Amino acid sequence: MISPQPLIRMQNVGKHFGTFQALKGINLDVIKGERIVVCGPSGSGKSTMIRCINRLEKHDEGRILIGDTELTDQIKDLNAVRREIGMVFQSFNLFPHMTILNNLMLAQKLVRKTPKAKARDIAMRYLERVKIPEQADKYPVQLSGGQQQRVAIARALCMKPEVMLFDEPTSALDPEMINEVLEVMVDLAREGMTMICVTHEMGFARSVADRVIFMDAGEIVEEADPETFFKTPQHERTKLFLSQILSH
Amino acid sequence: MELLSGWWDDFFWGSVVVAQVFLASLVLMVIFGLIGAAAKLSGNRIVQKIANGYTVVFRGTPEILVILLLYFGSAITLTWISRLFNPDIKFVDVPPFWAGTVAIALIVGSYATETFRGAFLGVRPGSIEAAKALGMSGLQVFFYIRIPEMWRLALPPFGNHMLSLIKDTALISIIGLNETLFVAKQAIGTTGKPFTMYIVVGLIYLGFSTVITLTVMALERYGNHTVRAR
Ligand SMILES: Nc1ncnc2c1ncn2[C@@H]1O[C@H](COP(=O)(O)OP(=O)(O)OP(=O)(O)O)[C@@H](O)[C@H]1O
Ligand SMILES: [Mg+2]
Repeated sequence: MISPQPLIRMQNVGKHFGTFQALKGINLDVIKGERIVVCGPSGSGKSTMIRCINRLEKHDEGRILIGDTELTDQIKDLNAVRREIGMVFQSFNLFPHMTILNNLMLAQKLVRKTPKAKARDIAMRYLERVKIPEQADKYPVQLSGGQQQRVAIARALCMKPEVMLFDEPTSALDPEMINEVLEVMVDLAREGMTMICVTHEMGFARSVADRVIFMDAGEIVEEADPETFFKTPQHERTKLFLSQILSH
Repeated sequence: MELLSGWWDDFFWGSVVVAQVFLASLVLMVIFGLIGAAAKLSGNRIVQKIANGYTVVFRGTPEILVILLLYFGSAITLTWISRLFNPDIKFVDVPPFWAGTVAIALIVGSYATETFRGAFLGVRPGSIEAAKALGMSGLQVFFYIRIPEMWRLALPPFGNHMLSLIKDTALISIIGLNETLFVAKQAIGTTGKPFTMYIVVGLIYLGFSTVITLTVMALERYGNHTVRAR
C-alpha cells in the first residue's frame, strides 16, 4: 500500500535560539485531512514547532517540506507557501486599524488578487460561518476576545488554506468564551480541514483529533490516537503532564 | 492699525516666506527623520554610530548656532570648491532660504529620528506576523500594516515637531531671510514702534501654530477612531 504524500513533512528538525536548543529531532508527517493536537508543558517548543511550518521561525537542522516545496533560505516564493497555511494565534493579532471586513479582505486582495466584490462575498460568507456577520463594520477593539478570535479564524479561512495551524487559540480567552471558539474549530475539523492545534483543551482533542502529540523539552515524547493517549500513556513525562492538566 | 500702513504687504510676503520655509523643511525633516531612524534600526554598527552622532550633535547644539554654522560653513565650502575651477571667484552666496531650511530640518529631523524609531518599535509584532502568515510580501506588510500603525503612534510627537519647525523659521531672519521677523525689524527701524511690530509677528505665528495644532488634532482623532475603547 502506498501511503498518500504528506502535506507537511518534518524530518529530524532542530531549532536553536542562540545556544538554547528549542527543538530536537522532530519527525512529523501530516497527511491531508488529518487533525493533530499538540500539547506539552510551557516552553516545550510547541509554538516553535508550528511556527517553523510557515517559517515564522527558521529551523536550523533537518528538513521541512510543504507538499513538494522544501523550506530553505533559497526558497523562491515563501509567500506562495504561506498563503496555503492558515494560522491562528493566541493573541488574535487582528489588524487594529482596519474594520473586521477589511481584516478579512486585505490578504485576499493583495495575495490572492481576488477582485474586491468577490473578496467581500467570501469575507461575509466566512463571517456568517463564525456567526458574527453583524460585526463586519466594527473595529477589532470593539469586539470581545472570543469574537476577535473567530474573526481571526475567518480571516485565515478566507485564503482557502490547505492546512490550519492553531497556537493555543483559546488560552487568552475568558472561560465563557472558550466554547464559541472551540465550536468553530470542531465544525472545521468535521468538514475535513487539515489542522494542527496546539491546545490544552483535552475535550477538543478527544472529540476531533486523529493523533495527539505530547512534547517536552523540544522533543516529541509521545504520539498516539486520543483513546490510547489518554487511557494508556506510555511515558512518565506524559503521565505526569496529563495528571496535572486533567486535575483542574 | 494706522501704524502698520505701508507694512501690510511686507508682513504678508514675510508670512508667505514662513509658510514656504515650513513646508520645505517639513518634507526634509521627514526625510532626515526616516533616514536617521532606518540607520538606527539597521543592523550595521557604523551606520548606527553615524546616526547616533547626528542626533547627539543636532539635539545638543543651540539652534541658532546650527543655522549660522550651516550658512557660513556651506558658503565657505562652496567658495573653496568654485575656486578650484575658477580662481577669480571671491565669494559664493548660499541662499539663506535653503541654508536656513536645511538647518532647521536637520535640527528637528534629529528629534524625528527618535520619534520614528520609537514608532517602528512600538508596532505590535503580532499584526506583522499575522500579515506574513497570510502570505503578504515584505513591502505589503510595510505599507498596509506597519506604516498605518506607526503613523498612529508617531502623530502626537510629530505634531510637536511641526510646532518646533514653525517656531524655528523665525531664527532664519538672522542670516537675512526676509520672513516676518526680518520685516518687523525693518519696520521698527522706520516707525520706532518695536512692541507693535513684534505683536504683529506674534499674532502671525499664533495663526500658523493654531492651524498646525488643529490639523494634528483632527488627524489624531482620525487615527484613533479605530482603537478607542468600547
Ligand atoms: N524568539 C526566541 N528567542 C529566544 N528563545 C525563545 C524564542 N522563542 C522561544 N524561545 C524559547 O524556546 C523554548 C520553546 O518556546 P515555545 O514558545 O515554542 O514553547 P511553547 O511550548 O509554545 O510554550 P508555551 O506553552 O508557554 O507557549 C522556550 O524555552 C522559549 O523560552
Ligand atoms: Mg506557545
